[in-house]
Amino acid sequence: MGATVLIPYLTGRAINAIGSHDRHALTMWAIAIAIAGLARLGLSVARRLVAGRVSLGVELDVRNRLYEQLQRLELSFFDRQQTGQLMSRATVDLQSVRFFLGYGLIFIAQSALTIVLAAVAMFVLQPELAALALIPVPFVVAIANRYGHKSRPAVQEVQQRIAELTAEAEENVSGVRVVKAFAQEERQLDRFTGSVTRVFDQALLAVRIQALYTPLLSFLPNLGLAAILLVGGREVIHGTLSLGSFTAFYAYLLMLISPMRTLGYMLGAAQRATASGARIFQILDRAPAMRTPDAAPPLPAGRGRVQLSGAGLTFEGSTRPALSDIDLEVEAGSTLALVGATGAGKTALVSLLPRLYDVTEGSVRVDGADVRTVDPVSLRHEIALVTDDPFLFSATVHDNIAYARPEATREEVESAAQVAQADGFIERLPSGYDTLVGERGLTLSGGQRQRIAIARAVLADPRILVLDDATSSVDASTENEIKQALRDVMAGRTTFIIAHRLSTIALADEIAVIEEGRLVARGTHDELFLRSPLYREIVEKGMPDQVFLNENPREVEVAGL
Amino acid sequence: MSAVRENSRRMTEIRRRLRQTSGRGRKLRGLVEILAPYRWRVLAMFVALVLATAAALAPAPLAKLAIDNGIQKHDVHALDVIVALFVLSAIVYAVASYVQTYLVGWVGQRALQDLRLALFEHLQSLSIGFYSRNRAGVIISRLTNDVEALDQLVSDGMATLIQSGLMLIGVVVILFVMDSRLALLTFIALPLLAIGGFIFRIASADAYRLTREKIAWITGYLQETLSGIRVVRAFGQEPRHIARFHALNDDNRAANMTTVNLNAAYFPAVELLSALVTVEILVVGGIAAINGSTSTGVVFAFVAALNNFFDPIQQLSQLYTTYQSGMAALDKIFELMDEQPELSDQAGALDLPRIKGGLRFDDVSFRYGSDDDGAWALRDIDLTIPPGQTVALVGETGAGKSTLAKLVARFYDPTVGSVLVDGHDLRSVTAESLRSQMGIVPQEGFLFSGTVRENIAFGRPGATDQEIETAAEAIGAHGFITGLENGYDTQVGERGVQLSAGQRQLIAFARALVADPRILVLDEATSNVDVHTETLIEQGLRRLVAGRTAIVIAHRLSTIRHAGRIVVIEHGRIVEQGTHDELLDAQGHYWRLYRDWAEQAAA
Repeated sequence: MGATVLIPYLTGRAINAIGSHDRHALTMWAIAIAIAGLARLGLSVARRLVAGRVSLGVELDVRNRLYEQLQRLELSFFDRQQTGQLMSRATVDLQSVRFFLGYGLIFIAQSALTIVLAAVAMFVLQPELAALALIPVPFVVAIANRYGHKSRPAVQEVQQRIAELTAEAEENVSGVRVVKAFAQEERQLDRFTGSVTRVFDQALLAVRIQALYTPLLSFLPNLGLAAILLVGGREVIHGTLSLGSFTAFYAYLLMLISPMRTLGYMLGAAQRATASGARIFQILDRAPAMRTPDAAPPLPAGRGRVQLSGAGLTFEGSTRPALSDIDLEVEAGSTLALVGATGAGKTALVSLLPRLYDVTEGSVRVDGADVRTVDPVSLRHEIALVTDDPFLFSATVHDNIAYARPEATREEVESAAQVAQADGFIERLPSGYDTLVGERGLTLSGGQRQRIAIARAVLADPRILVLDDATSSVDASTENEIKQALRDVMAGRTTFIIAHRLSTIALADEIAVIEEGRLVARGTHDELFLRSPLYREIVEKGMPDQVFLNENPREVEVAGL
Repeated sequence: MSAVRENSRRMTEIRRRLRQTSGRGRKLRGLVEILAPYRWRVLAMFVALVLATAAALAPAPLAKLAIDNGIQKHDVHALDVIVALFVLSAIVYAVASYVQTYLVGWVGQRALQDLRLALFEHLQSLSIGFYSRNRAGVIISRLTNDVEALDQLVSDGMATLIQSGLMLIGVVVILFVMDSRLALLTFIALPLLAIGGFIFRIASADAYRLTREKIAWITGYLQETLSGIRVVRAFGQEPRHIARFHALNDDNRAANMTTVNLNAAYFPAVELLSALVTVEILVVGGIAAINGSTSTGVVFAFVAALNNFFDPIQQLSQLYTTYQSGMAALDKIFELMDEQPELSDQAGALDLPRIKGGLRFDDVSFRYGSDDDGAWALRDIDLTIPPGQTVALVGETGAGKSTLAKLVARFYDPTVGSVLVDGHDLRSVTAESLRSQMGIVPQEGFLFSGTVRENIAFGRPGATDQEIETAAEAIGAHGFITGLENGYDTQVGERGVQLSAGQRQLIAFARALVADPRILVLDEATSNVDVHTETLIEQGLRRLVAGRTAIVIAHRLSTIRHAGRIVVIEHGRIVEQGTHDELLDAQGHYWRLYRDWAEQAAA
């Protein structure tokens, strides 16, 4: 910094030397400038590298911690957050902080120091002229700041509108069949035109701001330069100022133009970085609600006996309990079916077992131990959950099936797939078990995903198996085959089945009827049919029509209009 | 709306002209076409640019004059005049700069707007075949990323080129005039800077691209984790994901470090070069001034003008990457523009009168794609459907049911044979007159973002609220709609309420009902819903197919059983036709499918 400020001074001296026809002094000053330039190079490089490393290191660290924190937080946190918001914390917000630490802070320090040093140097040379020359400085800083302050939201709004435009474009592309089907192309064009116009209007607003402020930011310093020429020039003429000093003044002000503006902009960056930092720390400082005692023991040995005692669950932010007063005992190795209307609480009940949610009342015990007292990882290894809309990772079929046990061999994966009746279609995929699926891979049909999820659960070899509407997208014949195979897997393993189909429910030893979060009846099919009017109603209303057809080998494409 | 119509006409004009350009220089002419409507503003922009540049160049020579003619000669009056000129040039600069910035922005944004609309319109005209062949993401990227890249080139790029170019030329000329020897010495820096800048920009663009890639990986992985958090938690696999994330993060840091290193190498070096040139000027120029072959003012002016020299070169080197991306984008846009709208109306196409809805497939065979590649999707289809009949298409996945339905909807034309409605070959009628009498309900109840009302009215935009509600009631959707937060005015879709699959289906039915088509093509959804909604859908469907010809790709037994005719398709051919009872008696394909189902349901 010092080197930078020195240069105009030295230049001034050099000009003086020229003016006084002093070759020797000239050479001396020129060499001094070169040395200052070299020093500046060294310092500049060092500064950039250090700032770069430090800021990137901080970014890495914070991002890692954010991710770890996200893995620690309880599920109910995620229920209430928008994915997009969380993503911004780890990307946009973090980058804003990093940029500020790496560049912003330095620029502010540099600019401020430059201004101060230059001001001091100028005052030393000639106080009155310095005062005059420095007048534009606070104005330029303030205006630059204001420009940043106005321009940023305007530009962000443009981005926002462009995002809306993109979403609309996406919708039109995805829904093109519907648009064409109803011959609504013109209507869609009108709508799109509206969105495009909105972008234009906002962009023009941003342009106007830019057009207004940027010339202003050049004009003021130019006035300052003019002032120096006028007043300083006179002083040189009258001999109260040397030509060299005059040159120095001019050079100083030229030199100040950039730092003035930078300071103005960067103050805004500081504000934004602070706001971003605050948002990040909001997440980092949050204490995970689901606590486990340190060094919690693993799940005790057993075969999966489950006891719910007075269990109740009220989701955060909800007034009505999802479950209340559930007293349920399931013997190890037996199969229990849960039936009830949509939203009755069946899924909520089974999510208590692997502690996806903690009970708000009562307790859940597996093989005698309260789930809150054991090591969650060991607990979850013994429970496998299959849902109706299973999530597959962007990975190979093999990796997805072996998710719970990454060390599983191909043979083990294949036998699990066989049980799930998935081996057939998997072998016909482009790369078989090594085919990439998930978001960045092949899109599988609902039924295919469910079967892979079943295979995943089977391979995990858990004590407790939970099938939550796990075959809803699978057709009749295939489901039949899955059930045959599952019978063996289920033998001796505690299983919970949630289903709407009588045939699936029939797999269970016993059935529990859940209504509005309460357990209203329990028993075998025949018992319940006699005793529970609710059960009778569910059965008699008839189970929805099964998907009628065989799924044929070429089901890789998703059929349909 | 008339402004929009006029806009649309202009879009069509632009599209036509863009498509006509071809051969060499196509891209350049394309750019010209895009800007052509705004030629006066562009001209004004140039004028402002030139003025601004001239005004920006003024300070250096004026400073020289100030020193030589004013200060050195102790001429206060001359000094005052020069300072006045200085201030004047500053004012001119401010005003011209304002005008220039505004116009560049305005023209740029308008051109952008035009391009977006023209592309959108073009996309609309393309056939379903195009959409099946191309990934949605790629298509959308044309409309968004590529248009933006082009805009960058057109607005910023052009302005920078002119501005920096003029500035550079101006400085060179001025310095040369002031003192040619000194000028040459200064210009030694030019090639160094140009080449160095060039190399830096390219390396930097690559490095920057890499960082974007890495951050995209991080974003993608984070998104996946968040979407699948339940699975991660349920299987207790957190440590694995954390480890992977750490690795991705490290990659990102490494990529960013490269840009830091590049920047650390380049910018300080440029500053050094500037200092060295200053030294050179001072020494050589200074000695010359001392010797009297030049003036102090000249030396001063050179030092003052250094910025005006270095900055433009830096800007121009930056231009290269903008140029690259802009041209690449233009290529892709042209590619899109060149796609022919496949199914345009034949010359002399009839407007279909109000049809009764009789359909006929006359020895139809079809395969996707041209040439002899690809298997036949449909073979020798002969089918006559009387008006008002409900036909259920049954068969295994991939058998050809949806293909058949697509031919009815005229998403494709048959390869062999013809599809006729009321005796008219579909190819001989206008697409609009056909579609307006046809209703199509795809498998996924696709809803646009908007209110329930708007979505139902999509079928017939002029539908009154009364008609909308009647349709909804007939379908059985009225009940749950009124139960929603704002009833019919509830926002649905991405930014609104998430409806269940069953509810979306019902709204899609209502939409089709409001359109009151003579022919309905419907693809039944296969996901299971709860009993109550299931019943609604069954009833809604029945209501929808009543009184019109309906082709249903059926999955539910109840639908199939009630159809007037069941058509069983296997490997692209019709293998059986008849009513449910007839087919059961025949003990053929249908009977076998039925038996499997029955076993399953009874268990």
